[in-house]
Amino acid sequence: MHLVLVGLSHHTAPLEVRERMGITRSMVPAALDRLSQDGCDDAVLLSTCNRTEVYAVAPDPSSMGERIVACLADYRGVSREEIDAALYVRTDADAARHLFRVSAGLDSLVVGEPEILGQVKDAYKIANESRGTGTVINRLFHGAFAIGKRVRSDTGLAEGAVSLSYAAVTLARKIFGDLSSHHFVVFGAGEMARLSAVHFHQHVASTTIATRRQDRGEALAAEINGQVTSWDARFDALVEADILVSATGAADLVVTELEMRRVLAARRRRPMFLVDLAVPRDIAPEVAGMEEVFLYNLDDLRGIVQENLARRQDAVAKAERLVNDEVAAWHGWLRSRAAIPTVVALRTRFERVRQSELDRLAPRLAALGPEARQRVDEITRLMVEKLLLTPTEQLKAIDDHETMDAYSAALRRLFALDEDAAASESERAAAAATPPRPIL
Amino acid sequence: MSLALLYVAAFAAYVWHFSSQKALAGRVATGLLLLAILVHTFVLGMYTMELGVPPMAGRTGAVSTFVWMLAIAYLSVEVSTDERGIGIFVTPLLVALQGLVAHGAMPTDVPQYFAAPFVAVHVGALLFAYASFALACVVGITYVLLFRELKRRTPGVFFQRLPSLQVLDRMNMRAVWIGWLLLTIGLVGGAVWLRDVSVQMADDPRLPHMTLTDPKILMALVTWVIYGVLLASRRWAGLTARRAAWLSAVGFALVLLNFLPVAYFFARSHNFA
Repeated sequence: MHLVLVGLSHHTAPLEVRERMGITRSMVPAALDRLSQDGCDDAVLLSTCNRTEVYAVAPDPSSMGERIVACLADYRGVSREEIDAALYVRTDADAARHLFRVSAGLDSLVVGEPEILGQVKDAYKIANESRGTGTVINRLFHGAFAIGKRVRSDTGLAEGAVSLSYAAVTLARKIFGDLSSHHFVVFGAGEMARLSAVHFHQHVASTTIATRRQDRGEALAAEINGQVTSWDARFDALVEADILVSATGAADLVVTELEMRRVLAARRRRPMFLVDLAVPRDIAPEVAGMEEVFLYNLDDLRGIVQENLARRQDAVAKAERLVNDEVAAWHGWLRSRAAIPTVVALRTRFERVRQSELDRLAPRLAALGPEARQRVDEITRLMVEKLLLTPTEQLKAIDDHETMDAYSAALRRLFALDEDAAASESERAAAAATPPRPIL
Repeated sequence: MSLALLYVAAFAAYVWHFSSQKALAGRVATGLLLLAILVHTFVLGMYTMELGVPPMAGRTGAVSTFVWMLAIAYLSVEVSTDERGIGIFVTPLLVALQGLVAHGAMPTDVPQYFAAPFVAVHVGALLFAYASFALACVVGITYVLLFRELKRRTPGVFFQRLPSLQVLDRMNMRAVWIGWLLLTIGLVGGAVWLRDVSVQMADDPRLPHMTLTDPKILMALVTWVIYGVLLASRRWAGLTARRAAWLSAVGFALVLLNFLPVAYFFARSHNFA
């Protein structure tokens, strides 16, 4: 059996193609059913905004890859010409390496981002619950979860905020700890203000929007379930709030030093975290000198983000080494599985010989007591086990398919394993044809 | 000496945890500190059984008991908050103080009036108060370090390793509150004890010095006033968390001064060993 990966990602496909090939979470079970109808019944479909990938197990990887591509194109109603250039097909160790890198966040748009591991787990869970997954897929994905976790805990690849909004939330948390009892105010209702409001609103007790454009403020408030206050009442809102993001398009300052002093006096000098994302700046730089105020502007946040990104790059080499180790372990396990049919046939053959010899000697053994007969049975079984131990280990350790096939063929021929298999098959067929004995 | 080495091992593990942030390092650090505390408890317990009272009289006994209490106070904070970031700042203090008295002799005999219940209240409460102030000082210093990084807009190692300013502020104020209450109990306990044993100790040369003019007693009262002012200002006068952190560090400097040099070079009221 082989592992096949077919997919496209932000590395190979533009946004329009990813949009067209994207499969939402609720559609995944139906897509898996469709793949199953095309002969791909042990598969996991991973679809995020940055990638759509199918991991499947098949005896013939190239034909399975073709079938998956055709199925996906047909399912999403796109022509092969539109997606062929963006698609990649990988097998066995390369496919496993790809999944492990994805799960570790090494293949993400923002290296080390944490969401992807959860998405990989979710994709596996859906496949497992909707159609069930086989041993190869199970082992592969559990390896992916382990490496995803290990890379994050051992390399620092996921440390530090790498987006402006996330950096602002991280700073706020370092000042106030848990934000769930703190209030957040945003000045402005443009895209920067919207992104900040969306991001902060998940963590804070309440979000208030103050903007000169009341209609835009109300639209943003409706989107995030926040509240709007008039532009003139913005400083009243600041007295209650601990965090302010200001991102207006105003040409002049919207928070002066004097106004801030009044706000702080009314707040009984409780600390405040101010983020000025506007260009030109909204908040007077002198405000940073006040003891209770932590003021960060666009350049400060950018500096933090860039530093974190650089730190993540340093961790990439270590993460790649961990991924390679995991790939080697997984691939070794997969190779050893190729030997299983031969090993099983060999053991069956030896067991058959042992049993027939015991049957042949049964009249002579009848003179022995039951305990002695049991000892004979045990000794012969142990002999067979010991004789087969080394060949089994040697066979499992073979690391290329050609050698494995040659050794398997040799063993099958030397021990007539195929005849044995045929005999077993006919025995099973005869047993099935015999009518069951009536129950007395 | 072995106790100091155990605290050194705990300190090394906290350094490892601070630099690597590995969960295993954190567990090892906590485990080693717990081991040190358990061994320390056993040692102090043996002395208590031998003397009939806890070995808090004399420099070696008092400092060792103080180290034990500080270690317990820190470990309880660590366990309750699941924050190990300040362990690297507390354990050097444990190492230094335990190392200081490592070769000193523990008390082998104590005067009979030491068995009075109020002496245990006096000495025990004061030692625990000083341990709380030590913890508040360390937490206060970490608060100032993190505050500086955030204020200068250059988040660095303290930003990554320490808990939030609010958590540090809460820990600091809680430690100061507990310390101040115990200091109050200890001072009152000492005064009551003095009244009770003044007849019994009539011939004791230390008795005439047990007044407000004695540097050790005076410094203890000054410390009580400073921490009291800190708490009152924080509660009613809007003292900022950063200034409270500084003040708790200054307060502990006074405690240390009183605990070691003043007690043994200037004061004549508390020379029990």
